[in-house]
Amino acid sequence: MSAVSTAPFAPHAAADPARPAQLGMWIFLATELLFFGGLLVAYAYGRTHWPLGFAAASRHTHVVLGTVNTAVLLTSSAVIAFAVACAEDPGYRRWTTRALWLTAALGVTFLAVKGVEYAHEWREQLFPLSGFALADATGAELFFVLYFLMTGLHALHLLIGIAGVAAFAWASGTGRRWSTAARLEAMALYWQFVDVVWILLYPLLYLVQRHP
Amino acid sequence: MNSTSFRDHARALALAWAALIGLMLASLGSAYLRLGVGNAAVGIAIAIVKSAIVVWLFMRLRTSSATVRIVAATALATLLLLVGLSGVDYATRRSEPAAFEPARQVSSVAGDASPSKR
Repeated sequence: MSAVSTAPFAPHAAADPARPAQLGMWIFLATELLFFGGLLVAYAYGRTHWPLGFAAASRHTHVVLGTVNTAVLLTSSAVIAFAVACAEDPGYRRWTTRALWLTAALGVTFLAVKGVEYAHEWREQLFPLSGFALADATGAELFFVLYFLMTGLHALHLLIGIAGVAAFAWASGTGRRWSTAARLEAMALYWQFVDVVWILLYPLLYLVQRHP
Repeated sequence: MNSTSFRDHARALALAWAALIGLMLASLGSAYLRLGVGNAAVGIAIAIVKSAIVVWLFMRLRTSSATVRIVAATALATLLLLVGLSGVDYATRRSEPAAFEPARQVSSVAGDASPSKR
């Protein structure tokens, strides 16, 4: 390191490299955090004002499927982090494609399980429509409005993530030059952010009050 | 990256995954205990720890540049600020939930005597 760059207040171009793909994705994710933040505020309002209705409604969510799905997403986040590490190391690059296909498959598994859950909730009349099953518990309908809004928006984000990760899996498998490690890392950031959103939703939607 | 550091990195990812699954099960178990307001506190606290593991290790904030860290910190601070300011309103307003009312005519259609047109 030269004497200039170690001097106080010297420009640390080498220590803080401009990585536009990562920085751009982080800025986008900052806006996404505020987007989901509005729903979190609505949830906090509902839960503090109608705690009994929210607890009663939360007991009707499918805790086993919700927990399985949480494990699936946590695993997918670890796998895509592994895929990025493989892409950065020439000795392990051949594993990138497989890890990315596995990530996309875990995402599809999550959506399939979510679909089964929605089907359960449709049969139990938990959709906030006329004939709502918990109409006598004040706040329960608001809980399910937020439940479908939050999980629906999350599923939409995941669907976009699956398409993006599958595109990178295909590109790295066929040696497309645009699928660089830096761009893959930006894709992985998006995927992991969607996982963070689910990490926050899991206790808020499934675990409000499970004890008898 | 040489193969030793790759293996160290892969091992760190595996450990983080195991910790995330363990925390998820702890969160699940805590919901079946009678903790009162503690149920919400434990659930949210565990979710924050899990998010921190994902952001710090998987999303690599641990080794990110200062610019990226500033973006992440600003995002979190803005969220907390907006949530806090919204709370000032909702927490201090008395809420009497009213049933949905059907739409109805407030004044005459003709308009000449309508107070809303004045």
